[in-house]
Amino acid sequence: MSKPSPEVYEQGRGMDAHNQAMREIRARKDRTYDPREPTRVWLDEDNTPDGVYDSLTIILNTGGCRWARAGGCTMCGYVAESVEGGTVAHEDLMTQVQTCLDHERENAEDPAGQVKIYTSGSFLDEREIPVETRQSIAETFADRDRIVVESLPDFVDREKIADFTDRGLATDVAVGLETATDRVRRDCVNKYFGFAEFERAAADAREAGAGVKAYLLMKPPFLSESEAIADMKRSIGRCADVAGCHTVSMNPCNVQRHTMVEDLFHADGYRPPWLWSVADVLESTADEDVIVVSDPVGHGSDRGPHNCGDCDDRVQRAIKDFDLRQEAAVFEQVSCACERTWEAVVERERTYSMPLAR
Amino acid sequence: MTDYFEVHSRDGAARIGELRLSEPLWTPALVDDVLADAGSLWPEEREVPDGDESALTVLPHRAFPGGTPGEVSEAFAVEYPDVEYPSAAVVAPDTAADATAANADAYVLSNAQELAGHARAFVTAVVRTREAIPADTALHLPGVATPANVATLAYAGVDLVDTDLAVVKGTQGRYLAADGEYFLEDLTDLPCACPACQQSVETFDREACETHNVNALRAALGTVRERIRSGRLRDYIEGQARHEQWLTGVFRRLDQQYGYLEQRTPVLRRAEMAATSDDTLRRVEIQRFAERVTGRYRCRFDNPLVLVPCSARKPYSESQSHGQFHDAIQFRAHTVSMTSPIGVVPQELELTYPAQHYDAAVTGHWSASEIEFVADVLEAYLRRNGYPRIVAHVPDEGYREICETVEERLDLDFEYTVRDHPTTGDSLSNLASTLSTELKYGKRERQHNTLRAIADYQFGDGAGDALFEELRVESRYPKLRAHDADGEQLAALVPEYGLLSLTLAGARRWVDSDAPTKRVEIDAFVPHGSVLAPGVVDADDSIRVGDEVVIEGPSAFAVGRAEMSGPEMAESTRGIASRVRHVEET
Repeated sequence: MSKPSPEVYEQGRGMDAHNQAMREIRARKDRTYDPREPTRVWLDEDNTPDGVYDSLTIILNTGGCRWARAGGCTMCGYVAESVEGGTVAHEDLMTQVQTCLDHERENAEDPAGQVKIYTSGSFLDEREIPVETRQSIAETFADRDRIVVESLPDFVDREKIADFTDRGLATDVAVGLETATDRVRRDCVNKYFGFAEFERAAADAREAGAGVKAYLLMKPPFLSESEAIADMKRSIGRCADVAGCHTVSMNPCNVQRHTMVEDLFHADGYRPPWLWSVADVLESTADEDVIVVSDPVGHGSDRGPHNCGDCDDRVQRAIKDFDLRQEAAVFEQVSCACERTWEAVVERERTYSMPLAR
Repeated sequence: MTDYFEVHSRDGAARIGELRLSEPLWTPALVDDVLADAGSLWPEEREVPDGDESALTVLPHRAFPGGTPGEVSEAFAVEYPDVEYPSAAVVAPDTAADATAANADAYVLSNAQELAGHARAFVTAVVRTREAIPADTALHLPGVATPANVATLAYAGVDLVDTDLAVVKGTQGRYLAADGEYFLEDLTDLPCACPACQQSVETFDREACETHNVNALRAALGTVRERIRSGRLRDYIEGQARHEQWLTGVFRRLDQQYGYLEQRTPVLRRAEMAATSDDTLRRVEIQRFAERVTGRYRCRFDNPLVLVPCSARKPYSESQSHGQFHDAIQFRAHTVSMTSPIGVVPQELELTYPAQHYDAAVTGHWSASEIEFVADVLEAYLRRNGYPRIVAHVPDEGYREICETVEERLDLDFEYTVRDHPTTGDSLSNLASTLSTELKYGKRERQHNTLRAIADYQFGDGAGDALFEELRVESRYPKLRAHDADGEQLAALVPEYGLLSLTLAGARRWVDSDAPTKRVEIDAFVPHGSVLAPGVVDADDSIRVGDEVVIEGPSAFAVGRAEMSGPEMAESTRGIASRVRHVEET
């Protein structure tokens, strides 16, 4: 019997295809953005190794992720929210920061203890955020307790992190790891780095006195519901084993504009994860030695993680409750008839038959 | 080589197949219990499993759901291994052709969710996939089957389905039936008698609904298989598919994929054909009959033409009304029946499928499309066949309008002989007196013309003269036998479907004649009873199920009736390609 390996995927070929497809998809967007306006700013609450903090969360508009310009991740539409043409000047970035501070002053009684800064790419990429800007921002928030900055692991090194830790900020680097499974990250998400690179970044951050927060993506395209759940459980376990990685934020995939996921969604080839799946992962990984949180964006809508429509808000509340308390028991409080549908989907759905239910 | 799937009979694109596992599964069928999924290669590398004959193993796969960009499915396509146990390959319509190298027994279409509910996308994808994969492989459409859609799925060429959607719908309180979907909370009755429904609607919960949905799907598949076996799936579809718009759209769009359906539609059946909707007009059998009557058949009589209305009883000549027409005409004219949905039926072809097999719902009212269709056929018929006189012995409803339309289009003068109704004494004596001066044709002329007309219809324009140059007819209508001048039998008319079956001498005549021969080329063996597909070296593309075929190889010359289309014979590795009626060693 001939028994060749079914694995004929050539390194690079799949990524080239993903990038080509994503470039074409992204080319459909026609909006441009003001480089002096932050992409988004909001106030919320987070569970950190130092307890629950009020957070000022900022998404800076930086001109976009370099990887996304090459094509980029199959689910990520944030590049569409970046300025056209490339870089944003230091002055403009600082104007954005000021806008965020104004927002905080208008909406909160006191400055938040924690500041989280995301960009459409990597805060520590100096082509996105120049050294000057990074240091000014560190100075701006030096009076806070904690800071979280987002970066791909390639850009994580001790000197950059020292800009924050030297100012006495408890610092976390948020890394969009998406999954601990290299194959899923590469073939489904189209992200180029490996888990080993994440481990290296975590070690560097740790040496600089910072921590790492891993962002995981629940249910990238091309995975069935059960495969997505299994991938998350496995990934959380592996993250927990990485020294310095004290928190995992599991983001259920939502359907963003001008992405491959959106094309799949429109052609009945993708459904965001069930909130029951999110709850299941949180419940079953509650005992792992890592804080696991999840903030399902767009919950209850077709484009976001959702259940049947009746129970979405209740399950979302339980998830948010879990984020703060880390107690699996919160999920015992919610139930709905649609759990049976979810169970049938988990049992029956295959990548070749998905989505079995909308 | 397809080792584990064999098609046993065909009804259009639908087939009765056998998934040859240790316990055979007759398809179209639910595949749940016999499917062994070796898993997706998206999340992890996988070994090709050992597999065995108890299950259909889905080989390790990368599925491309609806919306997957072409360059992605191309770059990530899996090269499936050729294994020695029953196997299925997961494909998208665009990747199916490349996946056939592994000789899988079945193919799983990975974008079914994108197709269900969308007639155009569904038809395009199924036709494309079906044409890309060998005929003797099964097509599995996962995750979309319901009691309402499964007949149409099978009609389009799907062999395998599963209970996944039926169960999921059950969990959602959606009660499925062949006529569509009900919300459980809206039901006052349980419109089913399956074991799950043996309770009151008040106690009937979602768990029971899951069981019912699966039962209903099983029952629907039973209906599908029986309909295919009896050659009557299309009749069923024309009624049942109307419960969901997209299903009606599917069978109508398939009618527009004429080449796909025509290749798969038999040229004869013994079964009745229900002509109960306008869609019947677009059936392959109807279109094919009209095409042959207006393109192959030629009237050999010199007498006038009498157009008469069809009768409910078939063949027409056995009906009371046609008996009365016959008494009035007395062999002084050539009788052609006008009918919806067939068009026109010359008297020689009254037995020929589907002329004696259809049964229409007669109301006397003709739809605009029926009038249009029959007028077009009559016009084409009269362009090809000239008559010294044309007598229209037809009633007012529909018939008269058609005659007048054609009369005008062709600038002819019809003589109308009906007053009130064709079978009134006045009308009949009018018909008789109109023809009283015409000469009668004899029985010999009638029989010769009948056999030659059927040969034209069956084998092609001019075949009647080419095959039966000098002809002696034996036996009585309808069991006519054609002999040559030396008394050797060439062919016999089969009354059940009005076509000729050839003897070896007839087959040799056919080969030697100018009429295009439908030829099956076989290896060096002498077939007895049947020719199996692996023995076929090549076959004419034009061969259809039910066609007479000449079977020739280094060791034998034979004649028989095709069980597969020519393309299916050529690409299949299992199944009966043709029955063999007569054979001789060469």
